[in-house]
Amino acid sequence: MRTKFSGILTLILALVVQLTFAQQKTITGTVTDDTGLPLPGANVIVKGTSSGTQSDFDGNYTVSANVGQTLVFSYVGFVAKEVKVGAQNKIDISLQQDAAALEEVVVTGYSMRNQTVQTSAVVSISASELSQMAPTTSIDNMLQGKAAGVQVTSANGKPGQGAFVRIRGTGSLVAGASSPLYIVDGTPIREQDLANIPNEDIENITILKDASMTARYGSRGSNGVVIITTKNGTRNKDAVIRFSSRYGVTSRINPNYTMMNASEKMQYEAEMYALGITTASTLPGVTTAPGSPERQKLLDRSIDWEDLILKEGVVQNNSLSISGGSDKMDYYFSVSNDKNTGIIDKIGGFERLGSRLNINVDAKDWLTFSVNVGYSRSTSDEPRDRNNTQNPFRGMLDYNPYETEYLLDDDGNVVLDENGNPVYNPTHTTFPVRGALDSEPSIDINNTTLGSVSTMIKFDKHWSYNFETAVNWQAKRRESYSKPGGILDALIGNPDLPGNKFDDQQHRLDYTISNRLNYTLSNNGHNLNVLGLYEFNQYEFNRIFVRKIGFPSALLSTQVNGAELNDGFSNRTRLTLVSYGLFADYNWQEKYYLQGSVRRDGSSNFGSEVQYGNFYSGSVAWDIAKENFINWDALNEFKIRGSYGSVGNRSSLPAYASQGTVTFGSYPGGSSTIPNNVANPDLTWETTTQLNIGVDIEMFKNRLRLTSDYFIRNTTDLLFQIPKADESGVASVNGNLGEIQNKGLEISLSGDIVRTPDFTWTLGGNIIFLDTEIVSLPDGEDIDATNTFNIRFSEGRKINEHFLIRYAGVDPATGRSQFYGGDGNIYFADELPDMENRVFQGKSTIADKEGGFFTNFSYKGFGLRADFVFKYGNWINNYVRSDRESDGLAISDNQATSAFNYWQQPGDTGVLPSPIYAANDATVTGNSDRWLEKGDYIRMRNVTLSYTMPSKYLDKTPISKLRLYVQGQNLLTFTKFWGDPEVGLSSGETISFVNAVAPGEATLYSYPNTKSYQLGLDISF
Amino acid sequence: MKKIIYKITFLVLVVGAFSSCDSKLDQVPFDEFGTENAYVTANDFENAIRGTYSGLTAGGMYGGSDGGGLLDAPDVLSDNVTPAQSGRGTRRTLHNWRYGPADGPMNGLYTAGYTVAYRANLILANAEGFEGANKTNIVAEAKALRALAHFNIVSFFGMIPTQSGDANSSLGIAYVTEPDVTIEPARETVGAVYDKIVQDLTEAGADINDDNGAGRMGHDAVYTLLSRVYLYMGQWQNAVNAANQVSTPVAPRSEVVGVWEDTSQAGLLFYIPNEEAVLGLHVGVTWSQGGKTNLIPEYVVSYSFYNSFANDDIRKDAYTMQASNNADGLQFNAIKKLFGRPNQVNGLVDLKILRAAEAYLNKAEALYNLGNETQARAALDVVRTKRYTNPPSGETGTDLRDAIRMERRFEFAFECQRFLDIKRWGLGVERDGFGDLADGSGTPSDVQSLSAGNIKFQLPIAQSSIDVNPNLVQNPGY
Repeated sequence: MRTKFSGILTLILALVVQLTFAQQKTITGTVTDDTGLPLPGANVIVKGTSSGTQSDFDGNYTVSANVGQTLVFSYVGFVAKEVKVGAQNKIDISLQQDAAALEEVVVTGYSMRNQTVQTSAVVSISASELSQMAPTTSIDNMLQGKAAGVQVTSANGKPGQGAFVRIRGTGSLVAGASSPLYIVDGTPIREQDLANIPNEDIENITILKDASMTARYGSRGSNGVVIITTKNGTRNKDAVIRFSSRYGVTSRINPNYTMMNASEKMQYEAEMYALGITTASTLPGVTTAPGSPERQKLLDRSIDWEDLILKEGVVQNNSLSISGGSDKMDYYFSVSNDKNTGIIDKIGGFERLGSRLNINVDAKDWLTFSVNVGYSRSTSDEPRDRNNTQNPFRGMLDYNPYETEYLLDDDGNVVLDENGNPVYNPTHTTFPVRGALDSEPSIDINNTTLGSVSTMIKFDKHWSYNFETAVNWQAKRRESYSKPGGILDALIGNPDLPGNKFDDQQHRLDYTISNRLNYTLSNNGHNLNVLGLYEFNQYEFNRIFVRKIGFPSALLSTQVNGAELNDGFSNRTRLTLVSYGLFADYNWQEKYYLQGSVRRDGSSNFGSEVQYGNFYSGSVAWDIAKENFINWDALNEFKIRGSYGSVGNRSSLPAYASQGTVTFGSYPGGSSTIPNNVANPDLTWETTTQLNIGVDIEMFKNRLRLTSDYFIRNTTDLLFQIPKADESGVASVNGNLGEIQNKGLEISLSGDIVRTPDFTWTLGGNIIFLDTEIVSLPDGEDIDATNTFNIRFSEGRKINEHFLIRYAGVDPATGRSQFYGGDGNIYFADELPDMENRVFQGKSTIADKEGGFFTNFSYKGFGLRADFVFKYGNWINNYVRSDRESDGLAISDNQATSAFNYWQQPGDTGVLPSPIYAANDATVTGNSDRWLEKGDYIRMRNVTLSYTMPSKYLDKTPISKLRLYVQGQNLLTFTKFWGDPEVGLSSGETISFVNAVAPGEATLYSYPNTKSYQLGLDISF
Repeated sequence: MKKIIYKITFLVLVVGAFSSCDSKLDQVPFDEFGTENAYVTANDFENAIRGTYSGLTAGGMYGGSDGGGLLDAPDVLSDNVTPAQSGRGTRRTLHNWRYGPADGPMNGLYTAGYTVAYRANLILANAEGFEGANKTNIVAEAKALRALAHFNIVSFFGMIPTQSGDANSSLGIAYVTEPDVTIEPARETVGAVYDKIVQDLTEAGADINDDNGAGRMGHDAVYTLLSRVYLYMGQWQNAVNAANQVSTPVAPRSEVVGVWEDTSQAGLLFYIPNEEAVLGLHVGVTWSQGGKTNLIPEYVVSYSFYNSFANDDIRKDAYTMQASNNADGLQFNAIKKLFGRPNQVNGLVDLKILRAAEAYLNKAEALYNLGNETQARAALDVVRTKRYTNPPSGETGTDLRDAIRMERRFEFAFECQRFLDIKRWGLGVERDGFGDLADGSGTPSDVQSLSAGNIKFQLPIAQSSIDVNPNLVQNPGY
């Protein structure tokens, strides 16, 4: 009310003033940027007075001023301009971008710098870009297609599930060792924990790709570094309150195959039986006659199991942030809630609550304190991800449509148990997963606190010192319950002690204490920055696990209610790292650049003989566009870069891997000594040397932007569990042997095709062309990769090549499968020669071309953006298809309608083999590449239609910004793959996320990917 | 000036607080124990020998697993069982003899066996510098375990000496006696391997305690195993002599059911107690899951074998049961041996590895081969009188031989022997052609017979083993 009153008063005063000073005039005009785009909301102030205005959405303004007065035009990020009012009534003004603000700030963890002074291959993704992206719950999924050379494979479609991120190929041959190092506000975080960071809090994600920057991370940086920085407030700015909300529905991406309905399945069963598949003899397609009342009864009760087991889920996000600052401090505060119910009926999905407070305070002109603290709690319902019907996604395909959900009596009524509850039909699979979803709940609860506290002291204008403590504290609990009287309890439980519950509490503390001494010098175009680093990092893992059986009620699940202790233990491991570093950057007039770094790391998991390693890098760059002899104005930047360095990797190495140890188990009579690890005092990090040559070009007032890099990464001393002869009694010994190479070309290109005041159209994209090669292996011997199905490593081959017998198609004369022998000739399965018939075919699980592209239209306040991602050249072993076109082998399970297309008479081609041979040929078929399919796809990851309210409509409201949007995710896919081509985990309980060596090798019923439609609102006050 | 002092003081304090981080690089494990500390005291060696025994509980050995372990392979490979269609289809490759090197059908046994040998060898190597009171017995147990491990491996992957005339000179396995992780040994001959097994068992038998308690071998266990080894070698008199060392009586008829429900330990020479909190091995899952009215069998007793159990044979009650799955109305001749303790269906029962009845059946067979039918029949009757109320008796000639063989089939049904017996007798496997349901209907095994002398009697060395040891030679025919 008071505001309104003062507003009216101002208006009256202004009128009075206008009456009083007759020489005052009205000036109009347009405020634009240097490219001619209108700047809405620019301030136009009459210098020395409080009067003024703001430009409207189209950059137009109207202001009253006296001749002789000065108008000040200002806009955030632009250099203010002053114009004296003379005779003119129209003043159009073009503001130049402020060089300092224009250049994107890149955070490298140990320092911040402008993008233009980068000499290395670095990609930075800002908050504004992030907010335009598909709002997935985990940020690693958001990186797909955004940065050249960054390959992202979503693990599966489970809400909150992360992705496998590989920067510039696969840098290691063991599990968990090829992921980049992730640093959040100075503290490392595991790839699988990224979902614990609320997306809304992220200011910037910077991806360091080449050695000149990654070498600064020493023994941990060889697979690239992803630096995540959270938001800060803006100094001298009143609080901005931002609220964003999103709501939508999610469902499975429709499969490109069809399962049989009841009548088709029974017909198929009859056909199989007629062919002599005796296992079909007890199935209703054989035991009931077509048209019979029994058959009709089955048809009448038929069920679409996919419909029954799946549901349409809900995706929801609400977040509120308040940020701002005075001249001595700034702050950012947020709370957020994300929810994704997932698509499995009867259980929930993922929910995350987050809160963060970041504060920077200038306590003295020489002393600054910063505190960044974020807390999040996420809960996730964990369905079984097994390769059997305990997994709902397998169950829904295995169950036959004529099988009912509940047992029915002869009259068709549901059978009730002694408590009056319906009895689930175990079906032919013996396991009713719908019942199990109720009786076997499993939930993960993750409490994560990310904190960083730092102090900076400025000694003088050259020297400063920074002390930082950064902590990642995660308390994770998994509770898994087989309820008394539940499905599993009846199968494997103890009738005297029903129910089985475990609580698995895992604590991870990762803290880093960092001392940095910094020297900067800017003099006559010479710019020098030197940073000295002394850092200590400790990671500690603690776990407590308790399992009890014998629960009095399904409603009680805490261990205190359990009758008998079944299992209980605790674990602890600790890993330390001591680092020294010296990093220097120099440039002359931002034309010639030099960078160098040395880092020395000592790690507690290396062997006692080799505890310390040195890592170094150097780089040069030259911005030709800044040379005087280049007179082409269209060229804004033309920078050539080169770098070389060595970086280490220790990420897969267990904490005590170099020490000879035994563990103790229990055995009747007491403890039992189990030899565990064979000592290797020479065990050390694997070393990647990387050469990078790149070019950055910007043209036509930055309308066209191109970055391209060529790299060669050589990794030597590969960390390996070097296999030992089975006869030795030891499976493997940790060691360093072998060499691999990843090389490739990255291109990112974007351009503003149209850039007018009202309408812009931007197109962009990026791609990596990747080659991988295994250069050498221990003793030159091939190695079957651990935790894979059929991946074998072999010298001279690609990384993660499938090693399988070649399928030669169906013999048109007999309908029998044929295979290529190791000698290259074609055989039936039982005639294959007595030799190794499996072969390499250059078919790897790793895509050799991958990237993304986008198109973005904006017209006045409307925006239409679509993001696409693609993969090309990877091969997936489609086991799900093998189960659904099983040639009668899995006749008890439901099949895809395509299974009907089998060989029936001589001359048939383009068909599946005749089922009569399937059982005999099964072993060979299972080891063949019959189901190995290309994983190529293009997927429209995201399409968003948005409307941002022009500020002229908001002037009279307290709202400073309002954006509404509708968004669709994964609505379009182009692929020839049978099923969904986005494959990460095959079956998470067969090969878990942390154990995966070859993500995307095979399909096995992991959580399917989903599509969604969402409606969103962003509003700021 | 004052400012500078503040700043420097601050800096010194901070840096001073975090000097000497280097010492933090020396980390010692919390959950593991340095090998150099693990074989020092008498107690360490007790722990170590238990650790070696625990290797026997691996899935590939007596602990049971879907990967094909010793626990079920001799029955799955032979004529005692028929696959149930309602099961998960495990071990069909084995059952149908469709294995090749790529399948590595018994690789679990191969690696688990050598793991036991490695642990035994670690004890034997470390015992050289140890003079504790229990040393002699521990060394004897380690040798017995090393012999047992190699014996199990060689009986599957190599020929058995009595199987054919050329068996002793054919490919056996590597007999490993050093805890050396760098070895890539070649295969020795069957004859050489059996000689080393005999040597280890003989030395063990001489030094081992009469009774080392539950879960460990003692005198009678070693000699029963030795008598079996001699039987496999065709050294009949030695087999008799070894069996004569065994004094433990055969479990009486009244105890037989209890032995398999863990309420009696009568006649057990070597068994491993299996409690949920200690080992927790649900070995019964190998044969079936669920209870008697909701049974999901993997394999059932083959129809004709089930019907050949005499009604007064207590083993019919102890080893088999009538069970059904009411959900689909199917009735089975199910395997009961590992089903569970009284009122339990969870498959959690003790692992029985050597029993006194074997010493008598070994003796009976050896004596028959020595031509001493009277004593052979007497040894056989020691077992039979404790199984039937009206035991068969009085056979002679080949009838007696067949009676000894049949009794062995009954006694050790579903107990790690049948396939190896058929193999060492030089016979083929003939299945009965009946289905998996109680009345013989349902689905029979895909493949019904394996001819005598078929190469599949020697299981292929897994390709994965050959990949890591270039000196390994594959069995002929693969």
